[in-house]
Amino acid sequence: MKEVKIVSKRFDIEGINHIKKAIEHGAYSTIHKMFDKDPKTIVDEIDKSGLRGKGGGGAPTGAKWKLMLQDFKLPKVLVINCDENEPGTFKDRQIISKDPHLLIEGIILTSYAIGANDVYIYIRGEYHQWQNILQKACDEAYLQGYLGKNILGSKYRVDITICKGAGAYICGEKSALLESLEGKRGHPRLKPHQKEPEWYFGRPTLVNNVETIATVPFIVENGADAYKEYGTSKSPGSMLFAMSGHINNPGVYEAEFGTSMMEYIEYYGGGIKGGNLKGVIPGGASTPILNATEVAKAKLDYESIKELGSSLGTGGMIVMNDSVNMVEALKNLLEFYHHESCGQCTPCREGTAWVDEIVESMLRYSASYNSIEQLLQIGQTMNGKTICVFAPAVSGVIDGFVKKFRSEFEEYLRGVCNE
Amino acid sequence: MSSKMVEFTVNGKKLLAFEGLNLLKYLLDNGYNIPHYCYHDSLGADGNCRMCMVEIKGKKRPQIACDTLIKEGLEVNTNTPTIKRLREEILQMQLRNHPVDCPVCDKAGECYLQNYYMDYGLYKEGKHKKQKIKKSKNIEFGRNVVYDEERCILCKRCVRFFANITKTNELGVIKRANHSTISTAPNQKLQSQYAMNIVDLCPVGALLSSDFKFKQRVWFLQSSPSICHGCTKNCNITIDYSSTKFQAERIYRYKARRNEDVNGYFICDEGRLSYKEYHTNRVTQIEYKNSIIDFKEAISKIGIEIFIHKDIVILASPNLYIEELESIIKWSKKLNARLYSPLECYKDKEFADNWLKEELRVANAYGVMALEIDTSTPDISSDTLLINFDHKLAQDINTLHRIDFITHSINSQGLILPLASWVQSSRHLINSSGIKQYAPKTLVANKPILTVTEWIEAIGGDI
Repeated sequence: MKEVKIVSKRFDIEGINHIKKAIEHGAYSTIHKMFDKDPKTIVDEIDKSGLRGKGGGGAPTGAKWKLMLQDFKLPKVLVINCDENEPGTFKDRQIISKDPHLLIEGIILTSYAIGANDVYIYIRGEYHQWQNILQKACDEAYLQGYLGKNILGSKYRVDITICKGAGAYICGEKSALLESLEGKRGHPRLKPHQKEPEWYFGRPTLVNNVETIATVPFIVENGADAYKEYGTSKSPGSMLFAMSGHINNPGVYEAEFGTSMMEYIEYYGGGIKGGNLKGVIPGGASTPILNATEVAKAKLDYESIKELGSSLGTGGMIVMNDSVNMVEALKNLLEFYHHESCGQCTPCREGTAWVDEIVESMLRYSASYNSIEQLLQIGQTMNGKTICVFAPAVSGVIDGFVKKFRSEFEEYLRGVCNE
Repeated sequence: MSSKMVEFTVNGKKLLAFEGLNLLKYLLDNGYNIPHYCYHDSLGADGNCRMCMVEIKGKKRPQIACDTLIKEGLEVNTNTPTIKRLREEILQMQLRNHPVDCPVCDKAGECYLQNYYMDYGLYKEGKHKKQKIKKSKNIEFGRNVVYDEERCILCKRCVRFFANITKTNELGVIKRANHSTISTAPNQKLQSQYAMNIVDLCPVGALLSSDFKFKQRVWFLQSSPSICHGCTKNCNITIDYSSTKFQAERIYRYKARRNEDVNGYFICDEGRLSYKEYHTNRVTQIEYKNSIIDFKEAISKIGIEIFIHKDIVILASPNLYIEELESIIKWSKKLNARLYSPLECYKDKEFADNWLKEELRVANAYGVMALEIDTSTPDISSDTLLINFDHKLAQDINTLHRIDFITHSINSQGLILPLASWVQSSRHLINSSGIKQYAPKTLVANKPILTVTEWIEAIGGDI
């Protein structure tokens, strides 16, 4: 097992939250050399590195950055998506608590590359502790002259504003995040008809995940090829994978793309706790579950997980051993989705509640005989008929659970004859 | 939208349209029956109801028509079995928590949920057997708007009306998932002078007007296009009235009627509620010195009055139609009378705003100006005979020699003759931007009342 330290290189150093200690260990070294470079070369370097967004979608970051290079009338804005609500995902939190200056360094580089002077960090409302850490780190960076009006004596300005969310899962979706940032209700926007940046109060905006931005300093310092040395050809680099559930050492560990999932679980997680492996949700709760045979085949990169009918998502694995009742597990997730659906599109608003109700009635042995078909049918209605990908994700989750563990669901219907 | 015409196909039929035009707008304007809730011409697409889905060639999944722009070679299918099934499923979801209030709901009969259920209802699949979510009913939003949370399908038309049209942002969605409802800010009521338009906009029975609520079932109402007489804007309205046999016709409400050149899609609340004036305080009988006289007696009295007076002043209301004013002009020339139509008394600075409300609170003031009628205030001596055609100023003139042709009773000791109101006659009006519009006759009173022209014709023979 090859250990990779790209984002997590300073995670183990004590007191790294203080800027002096961070600078001692190499933080902000790229900022000193940044002004020698043309912003466009940074964008090209990121594009060449094949860096993919780490917030769940896995879209190429370089393509997104290039959209920002056009001429716009209004100033550009950079928004950092730190609204980490996905169950099973806690990597952004680790970056902030263990190396906040890496994030700030990445922000300065990104803002310079795309030419955005104003940066907003949209942080999950429940992350009180991490809000304070981040705010403190920003204050230190301002004092040291890395942020503010004249960075390191240059004429370049970067200002970071930390905005707290109000506790909505959907605000992790970038357009809902921007709506929320504008002070409106967090409802996702309609997708644009052609490729264009996001808009924040009519200003062209780049929205990137915390981990994506935290990877930027490495690429700028060592070049795209150094990053490409890790990972597979289509998913280059590494990612912070998180593990939770029935595992001996839950936590966040960095691994390169293409690592075998089982090997990762054995090496970092210390194996399955209290029984045999039953299934793994590979990338945060919104991705379809993998059963034990699929986990054995799975490799941690976007393509191979996609082949198995799931997706890598945010890389937050939820490991389940054979003591888990899959109907109850699904109920747990559906309750979450029912609670968090923003209520904008009809299929999602009514569908999430409906499936939750059906699974609940199953658990009470009062479901109708065709409940499983009904579940799948509602899932179909929700899939691909909404503005954002929340409902399709729920549909995928239901499909995964019901199709892979159908016998467990059927057990709840046995002997039930009410229509 | 560009000015380029492009060819595209709908259900195999080749059509021409401007490039970049909203597909749903085109389909609705051209008679295609596409179910939709959140889309409204004035508000545009929001994409939340998902009812207007169509199949587009080359796209993996059905797309919402309201967010599709017309382009060259677009192939649209609106009535495939997939689309029908999809609409059924989505409508089923809309109805999942919708109460079966139709027997007591005022929207029943003009409700989009009912209409689409006729085509896309899942009649046989009994999937509604469950406890529906209970929410509040009869919430007063202020300004005559009442909200029923249970009936709401969250199309957000009302929210977008206040966000995009009036820009006052008075409503918003609160709570999440299927507990979402529309609400004003805490302890706030609606303030907008145009608030009642959201009752028109609401596709279901969630927003109702407390003024119309429980007054009449809509299928007993007849509709007639008309023009509001509230101010010189001349907003286009629909008059909803009931005409039951052997009963007097009764107006129940005004609704805004689309006319993009004049008022767009909306009217002000004051105009909307002005229907009440029609029924209150109407003059129906010919009176002389507070006693009822018959028609022939009245005609001869008018003849005598006109004969004995040398100086005659005619006051013509600027609410009258152009053709009526023209016949008054003709008559005044014949009588050699002075004709006035003062406008000053109709001015109301506080009423005006920069959208649909205008300062001159009378319908045909610009028609009066176009006909070059004197708009100054006349001087009336004790010998002058005043012939008043429903002018507001006549109330304040104290003279013994007067003939009043009026719709609503005033304090007068002279001869009072009932006049048909503007809904009982039909002709043309000119509004402040010079647009000449036709207002058809809507109501016929049980006992027909004469219009201005008919009165003049009746009197004319006796002069």
